[in-house]
Amino acid sequence: MSQIHLDGGGRKVGEIHVPTFSEHFLRYKVAFVDAVQELYKSKTAFIGGLMLVSLVIVLLGTPWLTEYDPTKPNYTAFLNPPNAEHIMGTDRYGRDIFSRVLWGGRRLVAIAIAAVVFGMAIGIPYGVLSGYYGGLADSVSMRVVDGLLAFPGILLYLLIVTLAREYHLEGFWNDLILVFALGFAFFPEVARLSRSSVLIEKQKEYVEASNTVGEASLYIALRQILPNCMSPLIVNATVRLGYVILIIAALSFLGLGTPPPTPDWGSDLSSAREHMETHPLLAVFPGLAICYTVLAFNLFGDGLRDILDPRLSDR
Amino acid sequence: MLIYTINRILHMIPVLFVLTVVVFLFMQMLPGDVIDTLIGDEEAEDPETRALLMKEYGLDQPIYVQYGVWIGKVFQGDFGKSLITRRPVSLELFESIPATVYLAIVGISLSILIAVPLGSIAAVKRNTPTDYAAQVTSLIGISIPEFWFAIMCVLLFSLYLGWLPSSGYMSPFEDLGQSIKYLILPAAAVGFRQAAYTTRLTRSSMLDEMNKEYVDTARSLGFSEKKVIYKYILRNAMIPTITISGLQLANLLGGTVVLETIFAWPGIGQAIYLAIIDRDYPLIQAGILVLGIIVVVVNLLVDLLYRVLNPRVALN
Repeated sequence: MSQIHLDGGGRKVGEIHVPTFSEHFLRYKVAFVDAVQELYKSKTAFIGGLMLVSLVIVLLGTPWLTEYDPTKPNYTAFLNPPNAEHIMGTDRYGRDIFSRVLWGGRRLVAIAIAAVVFGMAIGIPYGVLSGYYGGLADSVSMRVVDGLLAFPGILLYLLIVTLAREYHLEGFWNDLILVFALGFAFFPEVARLSRSSVLIEKQKEYVEASNTVGEASLYIALRQILPNCMSPLIVNATVRLGYVILIIAALSFLGLGTPPPTPDWGSDLSSAREHMETHPLLAVFPGLAICYTVLAFNLFGDGLRDILDPRLSDR
Repeated sequence: MLIYTINRILHMIPVLFVLTVVVFLFMQMLPGDVIDTLIGDEEAEDPETRALLMKEYGLDQPIYVQYGVWIGKVFQGDFGKSLITRRPVSLELFESIPATVYLAIVGISLSILIAVPLGSIAAVKRNTPTDYAAQVTSLIGISIPEFWFAIMCVLLFSLYLGWLPSSGYMSPFEDLGQSIKYLILPAAAVGFRQAAYTTRLTRSSMLDEMNKEYVDTARSLGFSEKKVIYKYILRNAMIPTITISGLQLANLLGGTVVLETIFAWPGIGQAIYLAIIDRDYPLIQAGILVLGIIVVVVNLLVDLLYRVLNPRVALN
């Protein structure tokens, strides 16, 4: 199918090919196969990718993989060791640990993804516009970013989560605040990263060309420069997902995440400490789950960096 | 260098401004009346007393005036009084700083002692099984949550083997032997994650240096491979490595909140945690502000040190 362009006098000046649905499909298929082949080039990315795919499958399939309710106590099976019925055993309320690990994982990964997406949604426009327009606005907005980056480690989250606790938020709203806190703390990093790529990209000829043609500057910044800056941002986001999961687990380990009955790797670990002398395995499974997930994201992110930035692939 | 230093210090002002504004707003955004939070007594019920207190705390002033008054007090080291102990917050924090510094310094030194040899070997033996092993270990290292690592260490070394105490603290000036016993597990937990980062860093900065021309020159002059690696490459690779480990101190200080809580280590991290549990707001506010300021100052010092160690940077 094609679209014919005519000038004012009805003469044909150009022809644009408009792809049909099947052509679109083919293109996506090719892109997918390409992506898998690219991924295969880096061993780390491939292993990380496999780990992530299996994680997603297990988390999506949770309702079919376990029939136990993660929050319902069972007074006939306290602190059981791993057995045929409960493959990871039960906790002090007789709840199936395997089920708690899976349901906890669903929540944790969902919150982490939402938080990273939120952080990028604020950080990217912030950094791109600041880098593209430059000048005073740029200096001021980057000082704000510097100030927020001065909060070491989990302290900014602690501040927000403590504040949220005073408003007695529960369930969904509590999770939403967590997403907000984690995303907000991520945005300075994204802003700085996207700004620095924009500063490099801005010097290139195609930007000058667009300027000469008279494209709107907002259009140039977001539709032309931004797509060329995406790869470091994607790598950063992948690695950040692992980090965010560590932070959520740390917060709930400190008792500042989700209140108890909700399955959560961090708070399960913290309550397992009380039975550590007699039932050390309680503290092992949620910890292993965190390690697996974070390692998967880190491996994938590391490999992705090698693929997207060939200069580093030698290292 | 002098101009750069002055520039860098001026640069700190807006950063500290944002930091203080965020911490100040935290107090403002607490629900309910600040008077209730600060006093918490029945006397605050009486409207006349309230008005008096409002005036005393300057709460009848516009918010920017309140900020100005607050920041003025902060400059004098006055962070208010703890709501729990009623002692000045600055005193509470001041007492907890040595324990944190002690743990941080030992942790970082430990990580450098492990990571630098490991990272250098990985770089020298690039793309061999040794290198892969080092890389996988360090990647696993940064993926393990430090609090889980800490719990597993306690499980193994104090509950099963009974070699070390599971938590507690003793000043090194009191009894060095005992103090070290208490220190080992927390320091290992701090150093472990840090070591994983530093190994990756050492490896990549070694590889950077190896590709430089002076290395070929040194080899062509007939220096032994050992001399080339240790005297030239490692020495130059250390500059970025040490600098970035210094910057990592920020992460480490943030992480102390969790680790100090697990090991009942009476540092600034545990002080902040206990303050959060007790809802001791002035202490939370001051603790986070002080840690933030420490991070900003350390970053400045590390940056300046980097320039001193590496004069070439200044030329660019």
